[in-house]
Formats: sequence, structure tokens, C-alpha cells
Amino acid sequence: MREPEFKIVDPRRRFLLWFVPPLAVFVAGLVVLLVSGHVTGPFKSVTVVRALFASKRDFFQDEQVKRILMARGYQVHVTPIGSRDLAEKPDLDSYHFVFPSGHVANEHVKARRAGKHVVPYRPFFTPVVLATFREYAEALVKAGVAKPHHGGDKPFYYTLNVNGFAELGKQRWKDIDPGLSNGNRVIAQSPDPCKAYSGATLVGFFATALGDVPPQTVEEAEKLALAVKPHIDAQGQAGEDMAPKYFVPEGRTHAVIAVIYEHQYIAYQLRQQNFDTERVLLYPTKQHQSTPELISFTPEGDRIGELMMNDPDLRQRAVELGFHSLGWNGETGTDFGGYIAGRGLPEPPAGEMGRVELPKAELFERMLDVVGDCG
Amino acid sequence: MRLLALVVLLVLTACTASTPPPVRLKMLASTELADLGPVLAELQRATGVELTVEHRGTVEASRSLDGFDLAWLSTTRFLRLRGTEPELAASIMTSPVVLGVRPGKRAVLGERPTWADVADRAALGQFHYGMADPRVSGGGMAALIGVATAAAGTGAPLRPEDVSCDRLQGFLTGRAFDVPDAVGEFARRSDVDGLVAHESELLSLNASGKLSEPLEIVYPRDGIVLSDYPLMLVEPEHRAAYDRVVEWLRSPAAQQMIADRTWRRPVESSVQRNEKLRADLGTALYFPDSTEVIDRLLLFHDRAGDGRQVVFVLDYSTSMRGPRLAGLREAFASLNGFDRFYVGETVTIVRFAGTVLEERSITVRGKEDLDALLAVVASDDLRDNTAIWAALDRALHLARGDTAVVLMTDGENNAGPSLDEFLRVGRGEVPVYPIRFGEASTAELDRVAQASGGRLVEAGAKSLLEAVREIRGCR
Repeated sequence: MREPEFKIVDPRRRFLLWFVPPLAVFVAGLVVLLVSGHVTGPFKSVTVVRALFASKRDFFQDEQVKRILMARGYQVHVTPIGSRDLAEKPDLDSYHFVFPSGHVANEHVKARRAGKHVVPYRPFFTPVVLATFREYAEALVKAGVAKPHHGGDKPFYYTLNVNGFAELGKQRWKDIDPGLSNGNRVIAQSPDPCKAYSGATLVGFFATALGDVPPQTVEEAEKLALAVKPHIDAQGQAGEDMAPKYFVPEGRTHAVIAVIYEHQYIAYQLRQQNFDTERVLLYPTKQHQSTPELISFTPEGDRIGELMMNDPDLRQRAVELGFHSLGWNGETGTDFGGYIAGRGLPEPPAGEMGRVELPKAELFERMLDVVGDCG
Repeated sequence: MRLLALVVLLVLTACTASTPPPVRLKMLASTELADLGPVLAELQRATGVELTVEHRGTVEASRSLDGFDLAWLSTTRFLRLRGTEPELAASIMTSPVVLGVRPGKRAVLGERPTWADVADRAALGQFHYGMADPRVSGGGMAALIGVATAAAGTGAPLRPEDVSCDRLQGFLTGRAFDVPDAVGEFARRSDVDGLVAHESELLSLNASGKLSEPLEIVYPRDGIVLSDYPLMLVEPEHRAAYDRVVEWLRSPAAQQMIADRTWRRPVESSVQRNEKLRADLGTALYFPDSTEVIDRLLLFHDRAGDGRQVVFVLDYSTSMRGPRLAGLREAFASLNGFDRFYVGETVTIVRFAGTVLEERSITVRGKEDLDALLAVVASDDLRDNTAIWAALDRALHLARGDTAVVLMTDGENNAGPSLDEFLRVGRGEVPVYPIRFGEASTAELDRVAQASGGRLVEAGAKSLLEAVREIRGCR
């Protein structure tokens, strides 16, 4: 028979037993917060900045961008909206800054803010491109309206003769290449030109192709718009932002040629383990570059604009997300080409060829109204 | 272990400390979205947004979003046609409108079928399908638009002129039912060969075990209509909650859940998909930008059925001998797909030369009736003279109800009454579609067409088959 045992607990040990785990939890939690960049959250006040965005919201919705901004003490609350709708929005003044995609909306916003705080920043640009799939690009090469931009078996970029492309518009894909079992007409699909900048740019591409010089009068603008209209109407009801759907496996079903921004494509390719060789870009011989302006209405907005122009982390992230960076004087940074090439993706032909000369803002707006029957 | 759990808990608390207060919103959703229950429960846990949902067919729902905070329909297209589309809409998932076929009936449609093949077999009475009511359901309407776009074959969105003639009758002949709940009806019946519906509805039905054998999914080669299920903000004041809901629904975890549980295709490209959600969809047909087109398609849909008649008045004068008669026979033999004579249609053939040589009416019940029609056209009984107006007069006497007359002639009238005498008598409402070739008089044929509400077709540049196809279904 064993003697009964009494367990004696040291009161100091008991205290430690209760105290150490919570302490450890606290320390561990702090470490996690520090590492994840949220440390400023609990300890430092965060300024919430409200902003309206068009297609460039991808940038501010990026997790790394959010973390970098949070580390600098800012959280940007993003409200997405099409560029043209943005410029018309009645409660524009209630935001700290806006970020429309193109010059017409930029000008509109600045005009509406006349006499108030309005500071523009141009941190980067990205060209508007026609995104397609290899077999369709090759069909256009066979039809004599596209050319591979660089060598190799599977080029990522092609140049497109928009005049020639417009002339193919009455034919169906299977007519120009019997290998394609697609009975739809040879057209590009874009978002609604009444609402979205990339949709408006497609109008610009056709306008440049069909008219020799930008129209100077309302009458000329309307006449040119009527010539462009059939090419835009050919798609029936326009879609929404084309980019997300272009990248899903049924992308071809959504649109075989979708108007998107180059940065969306570059960012997609850089996310892949192996580059996607099915998806390729067509660059119109006369390109159009979207230079979005961050237009600030308040000191908080100014601070975000300055960070976008100066902060090395943010600028590096912009390049990783596919944007071409711009300096304070509007000069193109060299970091984009270097970074892309370093990742093994050929540098796209952005900016190499001519530019689309869009008509003056008010004439171009009139053209959009005619083409899109904007109500 | 306990320590780790506590760390996780702490981190989670740190992350969710700013979770906004719970919100309850009223949402109008397409009928087929009733399967989203578990996803919405998870949404509420993750975002604090509770959605109380009322379900209606997409077409019906698109008539008014009044009284709702959000709407989640298969498409914004019907709203956009009315100009009442909310400013904000974000596509959450996609599903094509396709055809599910019982395995035993799959061979009837042939390999890699088109909508034209489906219309062809339906017209012959060899294939019966169900679909949702297009007056209510987005899936039903998408099917109607898809089939009509394929029938027009322009590769472009339907314009009002593309639907001026009704080329859907053959297809609609095969329709066993069109009710709001087409999936439920199909599951109850065993006498229907296929179902036109969203891919998600067909795959869910297959997975439900309600069918003895799963349906085979057919993606018609001439094109499908894709629904992209946008979530729309109806009441702008709920913007913050809406943004939260969209952000969560587009997150990889939610997209995965949608793909796994509801058989819809994710819009997030990184999500792993079930093999059944990887089938190639082929080409999407463009969506018309005109309410006139939609109204007209609904009209065709509503008046489909028995009792239609087409009368062919065919010139068998001796000048038709040789290639002209061969072309005529070939045209009849080659009418297929959307143009086939369909079950329930009455086809009357009046052969004439100097007098009426033969008249024959056949109401199509199956393939053998089509063979009988071909036998009439195969006749070698050619005679002298051309009594066009006497023959047309006879044809109009044979017209019963909803009838169109097709007059095919290669010569000038040289027997029987003159055109003026023919037109002096009132001719009622039956439209006449003259097809002119050879030496026939354009002026006279055009006068008859105009007077009757029909249209003259010149077969000069094209084959007789193309000419007949051009006016098939015109009334």
C-alpha cells in the first residue's frame, strides 16, 4: 500500500503559469502585426482618404500597395466608377482625390473644381491595347492587317493596322480563317464608350484610322462619328470592364478581342508561373496612352499624390503591377523596361509608334455621344 | 497548441476589430439563384451583411427594381434595354445557356451539333425539349435570342430587319413545354428529350440524383449566350455594404464556394475548377441592342404552333426544263436546319403551266411527308404556256388562315387572266412572295408583291435555295 501523496504547488509558479501564456500571446501578436505592416494600426492614427477611381483602382486595391500606404499612415477607401460617370458625379467635392483614366475626364474634373483646391499628379501611364488570343492574332496576320512585333515562335505583341482591321469588319472570323469555328464578325469589343475611357479610346482608334486629321468643328466631329459608329455598334450591347473576363478560361467566349489596358496584361503575365502564350496583345499602329491623373482636392489627397510620385516602394510596386512610371517632369522612367526584361517578358512596343491624336475634349465628347447614343 | 490557438484568435481579433455593424438589405434575385443559400450565410458571417432575398425570373425582375436595395440577376441586359440599369454592377460568376440531352437521344443531334441541327430535328418531330418561359425567365429569353441570332447567321447582333420573318417556328415545334420552373418540370417528365437552360442548372440537376441518367451537356457550335450574374446596387445609400459584399463575393474563397456548390463559373481566374466547369464554351453570340427585336421574338414565340400554311406556286412550263427545274428540286431537297418544313405545318404545292397541273396539300407529321412533297416536285410533267395569275388565283383559294404564298416563275404570263384582271378581285390578307428568275417580269411580280404585302426576291444572283431561305417564315 502506497502512502497518499500531496502535491504542493509553488504560488510563484502558479502565477507564472497564468501570466506567461497571455504575455506570449501579446508578444506573438505584436510580432505578427509588425511583420504584416499593420503595426501602425494600433499605435498610430490612420488617416482614411476617400477617393473615386476608374480603371486604375487595381493599383489601390493591391494588398502590397495598401500595406505600404498603411505604413505611411494612410488608408484609401476606393469607390470604383467609370471615368465619364466620375466626371459627372454630383458629390465630387466630398472626396479627397479622384483618379480618372483619361484626359477628357481629367479636364472635366478640373473645370468643375475651378477656384477650389485642385492639384494634379501624373505618376504613371499605360497604353490602351486590344487583347486577343494567338489564333485570332495569327488570323489577322494572315489577313495582312497585323504583324508580330518581335521574333520567336510565340510573340506576345503584334502591331495592328486599324484601317485594315476596320475593313475586315463585315466579314466573319471563319471567313478570314477557315480554321476558326467562329461565326461572329471581325470586331473588337469594348466597354460602353458613354461610360468608360477604354471604350472611348476604341472610338479614338477608329476615328484616327478613318479620318486623316482630327476634326476641328462640331460638324466634322459628328460626320466622323457617324463613320465610326457602325464599328462600335457591331458588338450590340457593350460589356463592362473587359479585363477580368479576358483572363478567365472562357475569355474567348466573352470576347475574342477585348479593349483593355496594357498594365492589366503585364500584371497578369507577371503573376503566372509560366507566361501565358495564348493571350497576346495587338498594338494599333497609332497608339493611345492613358495617363491617369490623380487629382487632389485636399491636403490629404496631396499627400497621397506626393507619395505616388516620390515613395520608392510605391513606385516599384507600380512597375510590378505593369505601369510605366513617369517623373515630375513627365519623363518616362527606365525602371519599367528593366524590370519586365528582368522577369523574362519582352518589353512591349508601348510608345514606339505614332500616337493617336484625339480631337479637342469637347469635340471628342460630342463624337462619343453620337457613337454611343449616350443619353 | 493552446498557445497557437490563442495567437490566431488574437490576430483574428486584431483584423476584425474594424468590422462594420451588421446590416440587413433587401435583394431581388433571379429564380435560379435560390441555390446560393449557403453562400449568403457565409457572406453574412464574413461581412455582417444579411441579404433577405426575393426571387423572380430575370425578365420579370428587370421590369422594376423598386423597393430593393440590391439586385442580383443573370444579366443587366434587359434593364439596359429599358434604360433603367443601376449605375453600379459587378459580375460575380458566369453560366452559359446551353442544351442538356438525355444520353439515349444524344445521337439524334449528331456530333458537335449547332442550334440549326436542334431546329432541324425539332422540326422533324425527332427531338423534344423543354425551356423556361422567355416572358419571365432570363434563361428562356437568352435561349430564344441565341437561337434567333444563330438562325440569322449574320455574325452580328440581331437587328429588327433580321427578325422581320419568323425563322424560329421549326425550332419551337420541338418545344414540349415552357414554364417558369423548367428544371422542375423536366425532372417530373420522362417524355422530353432535352432541356435548354443554364449550364449551372443542368449540372445541378445531374448532381441531384433526380434523373435516372445524367444529361449530356451540348454547347451548340454556332454560339451560346453567356449570363454573367452582376450584383447591382439599387439604393446608392448602401454603397459601403455593397462594396463589402462585392469584395467578399469576388474573393478566391467565395468564388471557390460558388464554383463548388452552384456549378457556376468563377470570374476569378485563380480558382480551381471542377472538370465539368472546364468545357470549352465556344463562341458567344452578341446581344441585340433593341427592344423591338426582343418584342418580335416574343411574338414569334407566343404564336408558335399548328395551323401554319405555306403555298408554293411552281412554274412547270417547258422553259423550266434542264438546270432551272434541277435548281428548283434541289432547293426543296436542301431546305434544312432552321428552314425545314416542320411538324404541324401545311405545305401546299400548285404546279402550273398553261393551266394548273397538280395541287397537293400535306400537313407534315414526319419525315415521310417530306418525301411525299419531294415526289410532287420531282414530276417531269412539263407543259406549254404560262398562266401565272390563274395559278396564283387557285393558290389563294387553297389558303387557310395563317398562310403565305411563294410564287416561283421564269417566264411571262401568256395564258389565262392578265395581271390587271387578277388584281381587280379583292385578294384578302395573304402575302405573296414572288421569286423571279429567267425571263419573268420584274414589274408585274413586284406589283403583286406590293399589293399583297409580300416582297419580291430576285434569284438572279443567287441560287433558288438561297431565295427560298430568304423568305422562309415570312408572313
